[in-house]
Amino acid sequence: MRITDYSLLALSSLKYSRLRTYLTALGIAVGIAAVVLLTALGGGAQHYMMGQFSQFGANIISVAPGKTTTAGISGAILSNVRPLTIEDAESLHRLPNIITSVPAIQGNLPIERGNRTRWTSVLGINHEVPDTWAMEVGQGRFLPNEPAEQARNFVVIGDTIRRELFPYTKPLGEFLRIGGERYRVIGVMKKKGQVLGLDMDDIVYIPVYRALSLYNRDSLMEIDLRYTEGYDEEQIINNIKQRLIERHGSEDFTITSQDDIIGTLGSILGILTAVVAGLGSISLFVGGVGIFTIMSIAVNERIKEIGLLRALGASRRQVTLLFLFEAAVLSGLGGIFGMLSGFGIAWLLHYVIPALPVNIQWDYVIMAEIIAIVTGMIAGLVPATRAAKMEPVDALRSE
Amino acid sequence: MRILDTLGFGKIALTANPTRTLLILLAMSIGVASVIILTSLGEGARKYVSAQFETLGSELLFILPGKRETTGGLPPLLGTSPKDLTIEDALSLKRSRAIAYVAPVILGAAPVSFASREREVVIFGSSSDLKAALDLPMAAGHFLPDDDPRNAASICVIGNKLKKELFDNKKAIGEWLRIGERRFRVIGELSAKGQSVGMDLSDTAIIPVASAEILFNKASLSRMIVKARGKESLDKAEADILRTIKQRHDGDEDITILRQDSLLQTFDGVLQTLTWALAGIAAISLIVAGILIMNVMLVSVSQRKSEIGLLKALGAPTRQVLTLFLSEALMLSIAGGIIGVFIGLAGAKMIAYFIPNFPVQTPLWAIAASLIVTIITGLIFGSIPASKAAKLNPVLALSDK
Amino acid sequence: MIKLQDICRFFKVGDETVHALDKVTLDISRGDYISIMGASGSGKSTLLNMLGLLDMPNSGSYQFEGKELTTLSEEKRATFRRENVGFIFQSFHLIPRLTAAGNLELPLMLMGMAPKERHTKVKDALANIGLADRANHLPKQLSGGQQQRVAIARAMILKPPLLLADEPTGNLDTHSGNDVVKILEELNASGITLIVVTHDLELGERATRKIKMLDGKIIEDVTSEKPI
Ligand SMILES: Nc1ncnc2c1ncn2[C@@H]1O[C@H](COP(=O)(O)OP(=O)(O)OP(=O)(O)O)[C@@H](O)[C@H]1O
Ligand SMILES: [Mg+2]
Repeated sequence: MRITDYSLLALSSLKYSRLRTYLTALGIAVGIAAVVLLTALGGGAQHYMMGQFSQFGANIISVAPGKTTTAGISGAILSNVRPLTIEDAESLHRLPNIITSVPAIQGNLPIERGNRTRWTSVLGINHEVPDTWAMEVGQGRFLPNEPAEQARNFVVIGDTIRRELFPYTKPLGEFLRIGGERYRVIGVMKKKGQVLGLDMDDIVYIPVYRALSLYNRDSLMEIDLRYTEGYDEEQIINNIKQRLIERHGSEDFTITSQDDIIGTLGSILGILTAVVAGLGSISLFVGGVGIFTIMSIAVNERIKEIGLLRALGASRRQVTLLFLFEAAVLSGLGGIFGMLSGFGIAWLLHYVIPALPVNIQWDYVIMAEIIAIVTGMIAGLVPATRAAKMEPVDALRSE
Repeated sequence: MRILDTLGFGKIALTANPTRTLLILLAMSIGVASVIILTSLGEGARKYVSAQFETLGSELLFILPGKRETTGGLPPLLGTSPKDLTIEDALSLKRSRAIAYVAPVILGAAPVSFASREREVVIFGSSSDLKAALDLPMAAGHFLPDDDPRNAASICVIGNKLKKELFDNKKAIGEWLRIGERRFRVIGELSAKGQSVGMDLSDTAIIPVASAEILFNKASLSRMIVKARGKESLDKAEADILRTIKQRHDGDEDITILRQDSLLQTFDGVLQTLTWALAGIAAISLIVAGILIMNVMLVSVSQRKSEIGLLKALGAPTRQVLTLFLSEALMLSIAGGIIGVFIGLAGAKMIAYFIPNFPVQTPLWAIAASLIVTIITGLIFGSIPASKAAKLNPVLALSDK
Repeated sequence: MIKLQDICRFFKVGDETVHALDKVTLDISRGDYISIMGASGSGKSTLLNMLGLLDMPNSGSYQFEGKELTTLSEEKRATFRRENVGFIFQSFHLIPRLTAAGNLELPLMLMGMAPKERHTKVKDALANIGLADRANHLPKQLSGGQQQRVAIARAMILKPPLLLADEPTGNLDTHSGNDVVKILEELNASGITLIVVTHDLELGERATRKIKMLDGKIIEDVTSEKPI
């Protein structure tokens, strides 16, 4: 028998009891819609986080002092006996394929202008920040390229600081007091908004050497290195490791690549999406029970018909396949309907709450469709084999 | 018709088709059971986290140097600040009557070595108050002595993991370790117990705060851990801290205070929401089960047309037919719900058995809610077939074969 | 064409055994027109089902053109039914969801014929029974006689050599019954072996060979020289 004929016959019986078909398919559809929608939300979160992370720039490897052992806060960032220095940063800069090297230290300080004071995050860095992190200067310029120890008291401010401290005047050329020292504003960064819940505009940038002395420390918190796109990251990490071990005598630092972080984050969110998909499949399973029930009823109602088919020369296999097809078409239809309504609801959610990230996960959508059809066939299998096992004479005699 | 007769009628109809009835019960109970199990897990997570905070003591306050004006975002956990927090600041806080203990803390990392073994670990510079504030149990020896924290004694207390790594099973008390460039005598060993989220001290060495100042060559604290005298003193303790520090720092309120109880509340809120979300997702399957009930009831209405016609011919009013079918749907859904609750409770017990440290707990509201939802499901999805049955024309119903 | 030898078929109902067929031996030649009559429960339908391989004997042998059929696998029996046997039932057994054309198409679908070929065959068959204009009617939109004619056309669409009818006129009024009998006899005249189970004496007498059954046994087997 031809496959098209199987589906033709299946469709004819599904069309015959329309309401029943719709309701059974609806059961599957709800399950599929749940999976599609939930994974879209999970995928949206994943996509969002990735997007946020890539805002920090690409191809970045960062080096932090101290060897992190157990999870938790590495005390080494706060204080350590083996400092990571500006000289380390400069030395790493000279490695092949390293384009930029940003030594960094961060702290919180009050910034004063006249009688206005604001506590903010003060970052000690160097002139290479705009080429390393995905940040752009809006007005003026970024810190100049000067030897670290001779860096002048220049400051570049974030947009929030500009708004708070210079509400009416142009900030360029004005002076600010940071930790009791005078700094001249030479640039304002472009507005960046929130990244991972941090206000990226509530930051000021000063030369790293100045920051080290402000905080009275001898170690950087981090060195960020950007390498040439397309080069083997592992090789570059090895070079960095070797160079620092040469300089420090031991491996007293930790190297993390951005890919690592994104990879870890991605897999965590991936697991989350999978769990959510699993929870959604409970409904799919219940929908499968629905198909099982309805197919059992259908077999019961059509015992005579099964007898007739056998009398007409249908084999057991053909009878089994007929009912299996019916179950598969039933669940397939429900699956398509569920998929479409899942898309619809996802789109609607995105439309109503634009802040909610939604991202259709096609792999899960396709998997859910396959699971739906397989569920349908498994659920149809028992009734179908029951139909096929019937003796034709008994089937014809039944009332 | 009496209620009992109505139920009896339904029972006959349901037992006439045992497979069908069982399948509906299965569908319904899967939905309910998953609601119960998932909420049990969510509730368990909530209990687990609060228990963890509880062991830390909810009377704790953390004082961090520096502050940020923008609300939201991370507290300045790693930030440094020019107006240092000092050991003197810590000592001055002790004068407040709302405060029981103040542990000054300098955090840092340094290589710790013994014989040929070396390990880079987190170093806690602190005082005897740390033990009291965090309620740290000792496995052997003593904690730092209760003397002036400005004494830079060369003694240390090590976590149980660090002890294992450096000494294996040999005795550590009394041995001399090298931390950075200085030598310290081990006077105590922390027990593995009493560790909790965010406060894992097993791979650390604790030295007097003054020794840490020398080791790391700095005179500022990374943070202070304050324990209030009872929960009711928390607000007063917070106010006292702010006032004292402001006074000492020339009028600058340049610190951030994190309260254990508000942290707990945040976590609690998040986990509560999560539990609700889980229950919601699981409840979708209840809708699917409801659709199945409706579907099967519709089938049985059309299969029992002549029976309905007969009932009407015998003088059953429309309302009675409606009640008959509705009660059938309700019996199905409630029975499914009750079975589901039992399966769910058993599942939760099983999870509790396999993860003994995790306090799986089925919230009563989940049981009540899922039973109520079950009844509503039965009513809603049963009403359509029931009204269809009730509206049947008896003449047509009887003539239909 | 057919040789039945000592065919037995019994059913166990509780402790009792019902001998539906008790050592039935029967020879059937190609082109025969046979009627089977007898009291209710005498085993007529059982014999007919046996001939059509819908049922299997507990013992005995069934040869069809020299080939033993009792040993065939289920799959082969299905093919045999499709190729060699046409069934007609008292209650028509049309599939209610399918149109007249759809019902006629079923055997062709089962054997995997291409749709184009099917459509011409179905059209011809419908024309033959005079129902060309009812192709798209559902069974419930047809009269009993029309339904039975569709059933006959379905049974004959693959041109099997053997046509088995179990009380084909039982559910019909005299007029439609006569129509149906006419069609069946025309088919027999064209060389198809026709076996009819009936309670209708008049119909039974029309056959050239008349078999009477009682309690699972053949008690009478008369062949008249020429049909009436
Ligand atoms: N599946 C079965 N199980 C039990 N007994 C059966 C079965 N099929 C047939 N029988 C019995 O076998 C006997 C013959 O039945 P059969 O249907 O062949 O009778 P029949 O001659 O066709 O009767 P009728 O004229 O009423 O159709 C009967 O006694 C019947 O009860
Ligand atoms: Mg019979």
